[in-house]
Amino acid sequence: MSLKKFSELFGDLDSINSTNNKIEVLKNYFLSNDPIDNSWAIYLLTGKSNKRFISGKYLKNLFSQIYKYPQWLIDTCYLKVGDSAEVITLLLKNKTNSRKKKLSNISLNELLSETIPALSKLNEGEKNLEIKNLWETLPEDNHLIFNKILTGSFRVGVSIGLITKSISKLINIEEEIISHRLMGDFKPSMDSYEFLINKKINLQELNSKPFPFLLANAIEDKIFKNSINDFQFEWKYDGIRMQLIKRSGNVSLWTRGQELVNESFPELVEKMSHIKEDFVLDGELLVWNFKEQIAFDFSLLQKRINRKSPTRSIQMKYPIIFIAYDILEINGRDIREIKLENRRIELEKCFSKWQNKTENNISDIFKICDLIFPKDWTDALTYKEKSRENNTEGLIIKKKSSIYSSGRKKGIWWKYKVDPMQLDAVLIYARGGSGRRAGLYTDYSFALWKDQELIKFASAYSGLTNIEIKELDKWIRKNTIEKFGPVRSLKPEMVFEISFEKIQISKRHKSGIAVRFPRITKWRKDKKINDADSLENAYELMNKIS
Amino acid sequence: MRTKQEYLIRYKDGNLYCELADIWIDPSKPVKKALITHAHFDHFTFGCEEYISTKETAILLKERVGDNIKIKTFEYGEEFKINGINISFHPSGHILGSSQIRFIFAEEKWLISGDFKLQKDQTCKQYEIVKTDYLISECTFGLPIFKWDESNKIANDISKWITNSPEKTSLLFCYSLGKAQRLLNEISQTNFKGNIYSHGSIHKMNNSYRKLGIEIKDTIKIENKKKIDELKGSLILLPPSLSKGSYLKNFKNIQTAFASGWMSIRALRKRSGYDKGFAISDHADWDGILEVVKKSEAKNVFFHHGDSEALSKYLVEKESINVLLFGK
Repeated sequence: MSLKKFSELFGDLDSINSTNNKIEVLKNYFLSNDPIDNSWAIYLLTGKSNKRFISGKYLKNLFSQIYKYPQWLIDTCYLKVGDSAEVITLLLKNKTNSRKKKLSNISLNELLSETIPALSKLNEGEKNLEIKNLWETLPEDNHLIFNKILTGSFRVGVSIGLITKSISKLINIEEEIISHRLMGDFKPSMDSYEFLINKKINLQELNSKPFPFLLANAIEDKIFKNSINDFQFEWKYDGIRMQLIKRSGNVSLWTRGQELVNESFPELVEKMSHIKEDFVLDGELLVWNFKEQIAFDFSLLQKRINRKSPTRSIQMKYPIIFIAYDILEINGRDIREIKLENRRIELEKCFSKWQNKTENNISDIFKICDLIFPKDWTDALTYKEKSRENNTEGLIIKKKSSIYSSGRKKGIWWKYKVDPMQLDAVLIYARGGSGRRAGLYTDYSFALWKDQELIKFASAYSGLTNIEIKELDKWIRKNTIEKFGPVRSLKPEMVFEISFEKIQISKRHKSGIAVRFPRITKWRKDKKINDADSLENAYELMNKIS
Repeated sequence: MRTKQEYLIRYKDGNLYCELADIWIDPSKPVKKALITHAHFDHFTFGCEEYISTKETAILLKERVGDNIKIKTFEYGEEFKINGINISFHPSGHILGSSQIRFIFAEEKWLISGDFKLQKDQTCKQYEIVKTDYLISECTFGLPIFKWDESNKIANDISKWITNSPEKTSLLFCYSLGKAQRLLNEISQTNFKGNIYSHGSIHKMNNSYRKLGIEIKDTIKIENKKKIDELKGSLILLPPSLSKGSYLKNFKNIQTAFASGWMSIRALRKRSGYDKGFAISDHADWDGILEVVKKSEAKNVFFHHGDSEALSKYLVEKESINVLLFGK
C-alpha cells in the first residue's frame, strides 16, 4: 500500500472536524491497508514517535543550498507558515516542473523502516543527496508527510483516544482493552498491530503495560450539594503522575505520557524491587523536602526527569519520593473494579506491611498520600486555601464509591485548584506564533514597574480569544518601536492581567522572580500603564505565601 | 533621478493618482474623475463625478450599484487622451472586464497592473503582456510559497469533496463576482453532476456574465426554506460574508469550504474555521508576478496591495530590477 494512502488519510483527518467522521475515516483506512502500514500509521498519529532525523533548520538550509534560494527568503516564508516541513513542501512545489525522474511508489513501511533509518547512516553529503533524490522522486502529495517525518514534527488533530475508539469500533471490543493495549511501548510491526486488533482478550499479554490513567475533571458546583462524607480528599501535588508497577519481580515506572523512566530514578526502582508482593500503584513522583515533609518546587524535579543514570550526589541533592494515591493491582489481581474506599484500605495495609520491614526501609523514598478530612465544604475551602503553604496546587476530591475507570471520566474525580495569583503588567514585546498561529503576533512578553523602568517579568501566549488576538496583532504592527528578527519591541501602552500559579526568586531573570504557568486572563483596556503593578507588588505576593 | 513628486503616477492619500491628468485609479473616496480597473467593491467607491472603465466593468458595476452613476467606457486597447496623456485598458485576467491601465506621456510608459492573474480562466480575457518603463504591480501573494495548481485539478478536488460525502450538503464559500463564475465553469467540466445552488448575490452575477456572452452553468437560486433532503449531495455557492452568523442554521448536516489562495497555508486553513480550503486564486502567484515584471521589461517597479518587502528584495538581489517605494 502506498504512502499516498497515508497522505490522503492525513489530509482527510486534517480537514474533518467531527469526531465521528474522523473515526470513520480511520476505520476505513485500517480496513483497507496492510497491518504493517496500519501499525506505522498508529505509531505516527499517536505521537509515539517524536524522533527527529534532521532539524527544521537543517531542512531549510539544505533546500536553500540545493535550489540556490536565499536563506532570508525561506525565513520570511517561515514566518507566514509556521512549520519548516510545510514551508519546504510549499517551496518544493515551485521546483517540480524541472523534475524528470520516475516517481517512486514507496509504502509507509518502506519509508519508515528502510529509507529513513538508512539516511541516518550516511555522511552529510550522501544524506543531502539522498534527501534531494527523495524530494525529486516522491510524488508531490507525499512531500508534506515525508518532510514532517524527517523533522519529527508530525502532529495532526488525532488523539490517542480517537485511535482507541476507531480500533474498538473496528473489532467490537471495549475501548478500555484497546486503550490498555496501546499503553507503554509500541514498536510498529505486523505483530503489534495484530495484537492490537486481536479479538481474543488475553490479560497475560498486557502484563508489561501500565493501566490507562484515570484523570480528574475541573470542580463542578453540583458537587457541593453532596454530603462531604461521600468523598475522599487528597492534596494535589505538582509533580509527575506515574504508575509504579511490580509484576513477576520486575519494577517499571511509567509516566502518564507513557514513558518508561526507570533509568532516571534508579534508587526508587531498586528499593521497590525488594518488596515481596507484586503491585500496580498510581501516584506522583516528587522531589521531597524530608525535613519539612513538603514537596520541593517542580523545577527541581526537572533536574531529575531528563537525566538518565543520575550520580549518587545528584540523588542526594534532589531526593525523590513516590507518593501512592491508589492501588490498582495486587499480586496479579486487578482490583480496579472495587470501590475506592476499599482500595484505600488495601493500600494502607500494604504500606504498613512494607514500612515495618527493617531490612528494606522504604520510608525514605515511598509513602502513601495523607488524606484530609474536612468537616464540611467550607472547611474544604479552607484546606484548599492552605495548599500554597505546603506547595501543592489544591485538592483532589474523589468519590469514595468510584471504581478506577480510564480517561477524564465525568462525575468521579475533581481537582479543586487554588485561585491563581494575578498582576497587571505592560505588554513590551511580541513574537510571531507558529503552527496554527503563524503569521500573527501571538507570543507576548510583559513587564512590571521598577521605579521609572519597565522590567520584563513573564511571557505568555494563551488566554486571548481569536478576535482579541487579531485586534492585538493589528495594534502591534502599528506600534512597533524596533524589529529584531521575529521579535518586535512595542510602545508601552497596553495593560493585561496576568495570572500564574507560583512565584519564586530566580537569579536567571532580570526581574529577580520567576512565575509558573503565566497566562493572560484579561485585557485591561480600562488601565493606563501607570496603573500596572510594580516588581514590589510581586515581591509582596511572594512574601504573603512563604 | 526624479523625486517622487515628479513621477507621472504617485500615491496620494492612500490612492494612486496622476496629477497631470487629475485622475485617480480605483480611489477609496469620492473624487472628480476615477479610472476603475474592475468591479470588485474594494476598487470602487460611490460619489465620484465621473468613472471610466471597460465596457464589461461598467455593466457589472451598474448591475451591482444601480444605473445612477456616470460612467464612460472604452474597449480593451482603445487609446483615449486626457490632458495630453494617452491612456488605454488591457486585459488583466482577474475577472470579467478587469484591466491593466497604461499611461503614455512624453514617450514614457507607465503600467498599472490592477489585480491580475496569468492562469487560464474561461470566464474572462487572458492577461495581456504590455511593455512599459514603469510598472505598478499588485503583490497580494508575493512569496514563493504561493504556487497555484491548475484550476481543473482544484475543480476535481472540489468534485471529489462533494461526492465523497453524499449525505451532506456542501457549502462552498467564494467571492460572488469572478471567483464564483470561474468555479462554476470549472466544476461543470468535472464528474460532479449533482445540483448546484447559488446565493442571490452570485445568481445575479451569473446572469450578468451570461448577458455579456460568457457561458455559465445554470444554478438554482437558493431559497431560505429548502427541504433538507433535497440539498443532500448538492453544492451550494455562498459569499464569504455568510459564513459567520446565523445563516448556516438554515442547513443541516453540512460541510464547508473556502476557495481562496490563502488556503494553501495550513495554519490559515485551520484558523479560517472552514472544514476545508481550496487554494484557487484570481491573483497571480509568485512566479506569475515575477513573469509579469520580467516580460513587461519595466526598469522601475512599484508594488502595492500586499507585503512587498521580500519580493522587492528578491528582485533587487537576484534580477537586478530597480524596485522603488511610494511615499505614502
